[in-house]
Amino acid sequence: RRRAEMWRALRGARRPPPALRRGLAQREGPRSVRQLREAEEAAPVIQYAGKAAKRKDRVFVWGFCYSGALGVPSFVKPDVGWKKPRRIQSTPYRLETAEKISSAACGYGFTLLSSSTADITKVWGMGLNKDSQLGFQRSRRDQMKGYEYVLEPSPIPLPLDKPQQTRVLQVSCGRAHSLILTDSEGVFTMGNNSYGQCGRKIVEDEIYSESHLIHQLKEFDSRVVQVVCGQDHSLFRTKNGTVYACGWGADGQTGLGHYNITSVPTKLHGDIAGVNIIQVSSCGDCCLAVSDEGDVFGWGNSEYLQLACVTETTQVNVPRHLPFKIGKIKEAACGGTGNVVLTEEGNVFVWGYGILGKGPNLIETAVPEMIPPSLFGCSDFSPDIRVAHIRCGLSHFAAITNRGELFVWGKNLRGCLGTGRMEDQYFPWRVTVPGEVMDVACGADHMVCMVKSFT
Amino acid sequence: LNAAPGRAPRQHVRFLPAPADGGATGLVPMRVPVLADHPLVRGPRFRQLKIGAGHRLDVKASGVFVLGIGHGNKLLTDLYNCHLTRVYTIGGLFGKATDDFSDTGKLVEKTTFDHITREKLERILAVIQGTNHKALLMYSNIDMKTQEAYELAVRGLIRPMGKSPPIITAIRCLQFTLPEFQLEIHCLHETQQYLRKVVHEIGLELKSSAVCTQVRRIRDGVFTLDDALLRTQWDLQNIQNAISGCQLKVKTEIERILG
Repeated sequence: RRRAEMWRALRGARRPPPALRRGLAQREGPRSVRQLREAEEAAPVIQYAGKAAKRKDRVFVWGFCYSGALGVPSFVKPDVGWKKPRRIQSTPYRLETAEKISSAACGYGFTLLSSSTADITKVWGMGLNKDSQLGFQRSRRDQMKGYEYVLEPSPIPLPLDKPQQTRVLQVSCGRAHSLILTDSEGVFTMGNNSYGQCGRKIVEDEIYSESHLIHQLKEFDSRVVQVVCGQDHSLFRTKNGTVYACGWGADGQTGLGHYNITSVPTKLHGDIAGVNIIQVSSCGDCCLAVSDEGDVFGWGNSEYLQLACVTETTQVNVPRHLPFKIGKIKEAACGGTGNVVLTEEGNVFVWGYGILGKGPNLIETAVPEMIPPSLFGCSDFSPDIRVAHIRCGLSHFAAITNRGELFVWGKNLRGCLGTGRMEDQYFPWRVTVPGEVMDVACGADHMVCMVKSFT
Repeated sequence: LNAAPGRAPRQHVRFLPAPADGGATGLVPMRVPVLADHPLVRGPRFRQLKIGAGHRLDVKASGVFVLGIGHGNKLLTDLYNCHLTRVYTIGGLFGKATDDFSDTGKLVEKTTFDHITREKLERILAVIQGTNHKALLMYSNIDMKTQEAYELAVRGLIRPMGKSPPIITAIRCLQFTLPEFQLEIHCLHETQQYLRKVVHEIGLELKSSAVCTQVRRIRDGVFTLDDALLRTQWDLQNIQNAISGCQLKVKTEIERILG
């Protein structure tokens, strides 16, 4: 009985207290339509974006992380002890940058970002720095030594005459050297010069790591408007439409008529003498140039049938006109073993060797083959989608449409395609990037893209 | 249906007593209708009809709704296995966000919308279409490395032939007058509430908010608005005409896809 009383007391204690009188408060019943409408009209209006809201510029990176080329230090050295370093970033990852990035370039394990600002810091670099391809990055621990790996975008000090007036137009990266193009002070080169690719005299047994040397090139017939780095050579295109080259030439990629090393930028002749060239491209050992009339010229390595339509030799050291009957060509891009061109109508043609983008059956072709526009999203529902730009990495391709979508295909080396999967992609596949893609740079195993947000 | 003239009653031969010549009763064979076939004995011919419904259309939406009658229900399963696309016209309104994404729900938030332009909306729609196209290829369970996958992708024939989350195959803006807008959406395996959620998400992407005011299905596989019967046309003659009109279309479509 005592136990029963104890239980009753406990139960009684748990019973909720009787409801308190609310006094003058009204009962909350179902509201009428008029009350709901009045409550709705009285609700505050929140503004998230004003009429003059500008679209933000963002940078996304993906690919192999261990070299530091993605610029996110937590991928290589995690902030928290229990996290493991990330080897591959297989989908686009946003990179915070201090300024709006206008040009980016990916080399072999390193990246350069440049902004067209008038501030003192115009170029940032990250990734491998064993040949000082990112300039001298002073180590914080030892003031005399430099960093071999740069894990986040670090400013590159350029020896400019007018640092607050000159603007950097474009950057380009090769295997172990980089070129920076300015609007009034010529071209700055840094990095490995064992084949003269930096445009200065080769010094025997030079040590390239931790070097402060940045060379400036000014002697061209007119202002340089585009710089392109191949694997171990450099190409310069001037306003007059002439092309200069320097660097390794064993495959004829300098196009100067010989197979030797050139250490001073020299003008190219051959089929492009007198032709106004509007675009040059190179990634490996083959080079392509597009003239203002829509013709394409090629020189360099032809082991993979890149230039097989004009010649049987595997090395071409003089620029040759490639007589393709595919229409007027607007843009060309050279990869390691395959090439791609974009015509005025917006069609994409590929040739060469490797995964060319027309299924697993097409491995090599000497004649350009068109990639069907329906693979880029063109259909009866949206017939006005065209490819606007094409880019090439060492063994993969990228295309940007006029709607700002990015398509990639090719060999998925260490996740460089950004599709989220590790398999090779045999036909163009969309990369989901939260924004409209403006430009993309392809490297050997990573990619960087510049994106404008939607609103 | 029951008022229509039915089958004529069966006739059989019975020997009925009838006065023969001479006054004596004899049996005369006569053809008389079978009593069991008399309408008062048999009752109405149709007491129930088997009616099956096609893809669901919820209470707040309107438009084409496919029904199968009797033997047509077997065609309904075949049509389901064809995984055809449906087309909707969705009306939306900027400036409000509600809990069930339609304009009759409880208000959650009100926002400004004067910064929205048609260009921004079309950009968002292009991205939605792109990501859904990617989902289309991924859920179709085809190995991307084969040549057939490439050929189907070129012709645009890859589609999921099994269960998949809702996929939008095409989306475009028909009208845009702030704060209202109208979209046309082609989709697979969807529900109308998912389409309302898409409108809400478009509002969020544009840094504002949106609710869905109208969902109207204008095409369901092979059935379009022209084939659909209005409320005033729900009588026997129209239904029979509609069925005979659509029979050929449905048969060819099923044969084309399922083989």
